[in-house]
This record gives sequence, C-alpha cells and structure tokens, in this order.
Amino acid sequence: MIYSLLVLSSPCSGQGSVTALRFAQAVIERDHQIQRIFFLDEGTLAGASSMVSPQDENDTVQLWANFAIKHKVELILCVSSALKRGLLDSGEAERYEKTAATVHPAFEISGLGQLIDASVASDRLITFGG
Amino acid sequence: MSTINKKSLLVVVRHSPYGSSLARTSLEVALSSATFDQDVGLLFIGDGVLQLLPEQDSSTIGVRNIARLIASFPLYDLETLFADKAALAQYGLDLQELPEKLQLLDDDAMANLFKCYDHILSF
Amino acid sequence: MILHTLNTSPSSPAFADCIRLLRKGDALLLLGDGVYAAIKGTRACIELNNSGAELYLLQPDTAAAGLQNRIDDTLTPVDYEGFVALTERFPKQQAWY
Repeated sequence: MIYSLLVLSSPCSGQGSVTALRFAQAVIERDHQIQRIFFLDEGTLAGASSMVSPQDENDTVQLWANFAIKHKVELILCVSSALKRGLLDSGEAERYEKTAATVHPAFEISGLGQLIDASVASDRLITFGG
Repeated sequence: MSTINKKSLLVVVRHSPYGSSLARTSLEVALSSATFDQDVGLLFIGDGVLQLLPEQDSSTIGVRNIARLIASFPLYDLETLFADKAALAQYGLDLQELPEKLQLLDDDAMANLFKCYDHILSF
Repeated sequence: MILHTLNTSPSSPAFADCIRLLRKGDALLLLGDGVYAAIKGTRACIELNNSGAELYLLQPDTAAAGLQNRIDDTLTPVDYEGFVALTERFPKQQAWY
C-alpha cells in the first residue's frame, strides 16, 4: 500500500513528531511505500537545522533526515507554516532578506498542493497532531 | 499534479478560530483541496463550531479573519459544510447566523459521515 | 470501519469528542497521553469499553507513563508494527488530539 503522513506535531513539545517517525519506519518494515511526509503548522519545526537537542534526548531533526536519506522518502514543509516559524531555505532567505537559511537539506519547502497530491496518490493518509 | 484520480477528503476541524494556528491551517487545506478540484467536505465539531460565529473582528488582535475566510468558500465551490448540532446548541449559536448551506448533524450522523470519504484530515 | 487515534488524556475535550463518535466496528488506538484512559476501573476506561470498539494501546507510550500494571485487560498492547497493521485493516483514520 501507499502511505502519506501529515505531521502537525512539534518536535519540541510532546511525542507526536517522533511517534510519526517511528510509524513511518514501521510502514517501511511492513513493505509498504511512503509517497510523501507533509509537515504543516507546528510540525514544520522538524526541519529546523539550527535546533540543538540535549544530549540525552532525541535529535528529532537528524532522526527525520537520516530516515529520509536512507529510504529516499520525500519530506515536505508547508511554505506558509515554515515561513511563519522562521524556517527558510536559501532561496526564501534571500527573498525575504533574512540572515540565514534554517531548513535542513533533507527537507523541501513547498505548498499545500503537495499534500493534496499526496492524498490523491495514497491508499492511506495518517495524521499526527498534538 | 495528478487529477486523473480523485479522492474525497473530509477536513475535520475541532479548534476555535484564534486560540491556535490550527483553525486557519485547516481552512486553508480545505480551500486548497477545492482549488485542486477535489471532492472535499468540512466538518466543524466541538469548539470548531466557534469558527462559524459571524461577527468576528480579528483586526483587534492583528490576525486574518476566519469568518471572512469562511464567507469566501462559495467562491471556491467549497460548499459541503457540516456542523456539530450539539456544540452549536451548547454555545447558543442561532441557525439564522450560520452559513446557508451548513448541514447540522447529530453524533450518529457525524460518525456515519466519516465512512463517506476516502481520507480524513484531522485538525 | 474507522481507526481513531487519541493522544490526549481523559480530561481533554478530544477525549469527549472521540467518545461521542466511537462506534462498534471501529478501532481506537491510545497513544501519548491517551494511554491514561486505559487505567482499569476509571470512568474513562468504562466509557471506552461501552463503545463496543476494538481497543488498543501503544506499548512504548504505556511503559513511558508507568502504566504496565495498571491497564485494563480489555485493551490490546501493540508496537509500531501493530499500529501500521491497524491502518492496513482500517482505511481511514481520525486523529483526536
């Protein structure tokens, strides 16, 4: 089956982001495919390259990046949610004259059309919030 | 963007208009779905019905107006709207104040509604 | 028919909304703070049992909360592969949070 995930949970608050990641890992282990993982609202913080995690806790950004690179999974940050939260790739940083790009390269910034497209292409659409 | 296959989407909104960013996000997802010509329904449940209050003046808090966004739905052919009858009654919302095409549902009808769509997006 | 997931505690509005729409033939997976609804003998647990839905509990979150010896045996613990297996059986998910 083809899965897409919608991740609304912040990586900094609660367990939702890591839960979504572990679910995604299990999807692959059960031989399904992941069409796309779409991060929206607070979920976009999963792509924050400047985030510094305490040593005894999950480095959620890196965990997501490692997963995406290993399994060639598309991680998309919703552009409007990302901009509001100071998450900019180099193009957006230049456009808005901000000092730094702050999105981890494993993530791509795009619009809600990617979520809609993913839902059309997927057998399962799973939401992680809170 | 592939539109050869369509999937029907139910957007479920449970949050009040200005207490978090989720209200606006959920409506933008519904509008996007309609813009991309998907079959989309929107269910306002629990505190989500508070988004339907008509006289919102969000300029007082410096954010975009949710009521105005909802009023624009017909322009995008987003007209399949459902609301939680019990929550509307709990908050004393008068039918006359609500969008014309809003369908009021009790708990059983809302439970049945989930079965009618291919995917549910939960906000 | 529907897989409900709940990750907030029994005192949350999400719990109340979930209970209203949970039906026989559905499944409910408790995860995150949702696992507290599985504590045996509590009103929340009784309400879940009355729904007629299949009841599941995400095992790692249950252990994190210290509930291993406190949960009602009407709930089935699952790991993440079990979570995915539920989504294979139930084509639609409503996330309550």
